[in-house]
Amino acid sequence: MPSDPPGPGGFLAFASMAFDPAAIPGKPEALAGIRVLEVATRIFGPATADYLGVFGAEVIKVELPYRGDLMRYVAPEGFFWKEVSPAFLALNRNKLHVGLDLHPPEGVELFLRLAEMSDVVVENLRAGTMDEWGVGYLQLRERNPRIVYAANSGFGQWGPSAAGRASYDATAQAVSGFSAITGFPDQPPMKAGFWVGDYTAALMSATAILAALAARRRTGEGQMIDLSQAEAMIRTLDWTWPYAGLTGKDRARNGNVDPSFPPSGIYRCRDGFVAVSVRDGDESISLARTLGTADSKESPIAAPARVAAFCASRTVDEVVRRAEDGGFSAAPVRGGKHHYRDPHLRARGTVCPVDDPLYGRVDEYGPAPKLSESPGRVKWSAKPVGWHNERVFGELLGLTAGEMAALERKKVIGKWADVPGARPPKGSAAA
Amino acid sequence: MSDFTEWVRGATDPSMAAGKPEALTGLRVLEFCPGHFGGMVAASTLAEFGADVIKVEPPGGDPLRLVAPEDLLVAGTGLPFLSEARNRRFVTLATGDPAGRAVFRRLALASDVIITTEPPERMEAMGCGYLSLREEHPGIVYLYLSTYGSFGPDAGRRVLDSDILCQALSGGPYIVGEPEREGAAPLPHESPTRLGNWHGWFVQGLWGAYGVLAALHFRAETGKGQAVDMAGAEALMMFADYNITWMHTGGKARERVGNFDPAVFPYTYIRCRDGYTFMAAYNDEAFDSLMHIIGRPELTRDPRFATPKSRVALENERALLALLEEWSGNLTADEILAAVEGYTSKKSGPGAAVVTGRVNRPLETLAEENWRERGCFLRAEDPDYGELLLAAPPWKMSGTPARWKWGCRTPGSDNRDVYLGILGMTEDEYRRLAEAGTI
Repeated sequence: MPSDPPGPGGFLAFASMAFDPAAIPGKPEALAGIRVLEVATRIFGPATADYLGVFGAEVIKVELPYRGDLMRYVAPEGFFWKEVSPAFLALNRNKLHVGLDLHPPEGVELFLRLAEMSDVVVENLRAGTMDEWGVGYLQLRERNPRIVYAANSGFGQWGPSAAGRASYDATAQAVSGFSAITGFPDQPPMKAGFWVGDYTAALMSATAILAALAARRRTGEGQMIDLSQAEAMIRTLDWTWPYAGLTGKDRARNGNVDPSFPPSGIYRCRDGFVAVSVRDGDESISLARTLGTADSKESPIAAPARVAAFCASRTVDEVVRRAEDGGFSAAPVRGGKHHYRDPHLRARGTVCPVDDPLYGRVDEYGPAPKLSESPGRVKWSAKPVGWHNERVFGELLGLTAGEMAALERKKVIGKWADVPGARPPKGSAAA
Repeated sequence: MSDFTEWVRGATDPSMAAGKPEALTGLRVLEFCPGHFGGMVAASTLAEFGADVIKVEPPGGDPLRLVAPEDLLVAGTGLPFLSEARNRRFVTLATGDPAGRAVFRRLALASDVIITTEPPERMEAMGCGYLSLREEHPGIVYLYLSTYGSFGPDAGRRVLDSDILCQALSGGPYIVGEPEREGAAPLPHESPTRLGNWHGWFVQGLWGAYGVLAALHFRAETGKGQAVDMAGAEALMMFADYNITWMHTGGKARERVGNFDPAVFPYTYIRCRDGYTFMAAYNDEAFDSLMHIIGRPELTRDPRFATPKSRVALENERALLALLEEWSGNLTADEILAAVEGYTSKKSGPGAAVVTGRVNRPLETLAEENWRERGCFLRAEDPDYGELLLAAPPWKMSGTPARWKWGCRTPGSDNRDVYLGILGMTEDEYRRLAEAGTI
């Protein structure tokens, strides 16, 4: 039986070379040749397309002329940088931005022509809207039976709550039961402070799209995917459902201790917070020994209060070191400000600089799964509304400058409104 | 019902899925993730789309089977494992002994994808490291799930991967929970707060499955396999909004603000007569709609609330929450939904973007008709594990629908099927390995 080379060869040496971020630009992209049309606003749809674009798909983001995706105006503390919101940047990498109104018949026809040349459509409008506009799955498949169409919504494309009901991330957090089990037992339910109900569902949508593309390779046919973001969150709630089924009870909010692996949880230290983790008997005993309770009559599972007292008088680094020495696990509770300067995340390309032709250097989160042969990458940042109109309508669809000017006059296609969030940076050639 | 609604219901109703083809038919996945829920999620995701997943457990069963919140066990298996054990074959194998390692290698070489949470050193010691497998099987896709990943300065840190570690490092909990009040000793809940489910582990597995599917797409084009390195710390990290872009462009860090939000408001939970409900109306048009709904249209001209930027100043968020709760306190969540829908149904575009939804306890979610009709939950029946309530695959698809096929089985249930049927062992060889305790 062959075996791996011993010692410093082996996988870890291989990994540091095979995943080296510096080598990524010379490697092929996993989803090269896949074209995606995005008709979406805010997060759920745009993040779905972003995940495909980061792995090499060509994403054409269709926005309503002038003001575009309303996410452009979601700005932390009202802050715009070079006329763009940092919240918009993070969701719209590697995309081609076109301004196209799908209401007039000329807009519908342009979209149908794009769909003929595309593999995937991602939308997150209210259920049935695209169909009303004449660009729903049934109309698109007439023109292109290979199209994979992901309809992202709050409550699904059908069912008693589907019609006309809008949804955001926190709708899904709320109605799924997710918030009810997050937070402390003597406190109100806690909304996650990040838009987890959008991203989780977006990743599921992108996953289903890849599965549908794999199926298409065999069948030659596309299909419709109906994903509700609340159902996505419901799926993530692990033992909540069998527990409800067996006991007829609601699973409790359990604060910062994981009830499956007690006393694993988040604890306060002198200078911050730390996660302490024990996953098996060996780790439990090691923790008890470190706490000095191993030989007492206490159960081998240390009480959370003992762990809390241990951490309270120590720094985060001390607890992590004691865990490494003692044989249990610990890690600091980190935030974005730590990530931004973290040498580990920088070395992995998980935090990466993007050299953007319009904005200059923009730092971003890079792709999560690292692929050795066809890695994901961030090639450029989000752009103003209609930034790529010439490239898409001219080069791809073959419209002449005169035809495009006529469509602009009729407001079928268009570019940015002269407002922060939609327009190019001041002083740039386009502005 | 519109023609479209009728069509999409008929085409994607999960009760019609059986008999339709599956997206990943013919794809074999080997799951070797003892004690690890994220690995199970990665494998389940592929299995829900039709992959043939073989889960390798140590003789006696996977350690995760014994993890049992509130000590609830069903036939010796805890609820976390039961919730995710679906659509796979369960084999047992003693990977510590040489005969077991040889069997494992045969399984690996018969697979398209390997999902493992075991450290590379251990896989190499077993003779089943990525490098030696790919020599014989260049198309193999090898997914390694860990806390920090397999390269970078922290890759060598000694931890046993878990949800709480993945969550803590991700930046998620850092922006969940109540901030500390100034000038007071912090209360226990005024701290970074873990998501109550194993969301860190779940998303680690989901990203892993996504990476595998991207790698398989590439393999279908080029014939090349590859390694996929997925750090659990980085899974939920991708969902932490604009952490990095804001640091880079504005030098500002996200901090936790309870149920408020630094970029959009109203976007919060408000108290109502029967609990809490979500209320969002953050762009100007939606905010105007909401102020009409609560009967306070003059507030759109109040300088504290007149622009998106003024509304996200924290002191103004607090003031506005108090005003909203004056209105909502006497209404149920359903009455609030009816009031919002009654008003916004006359509108379209940004003015209609007033969004609400009750903060449901799990039993309330289970009682909602929408999920029942859509087949969002299922009751599994198994001779060993009885009746179990489970979440169905979330994807409804017209051509190759994801589906739930079967649930948990006891350790080694599929040994004969896999070892004789897939590896082609003789009855004799199988019996010898079983007698030696290898399988």
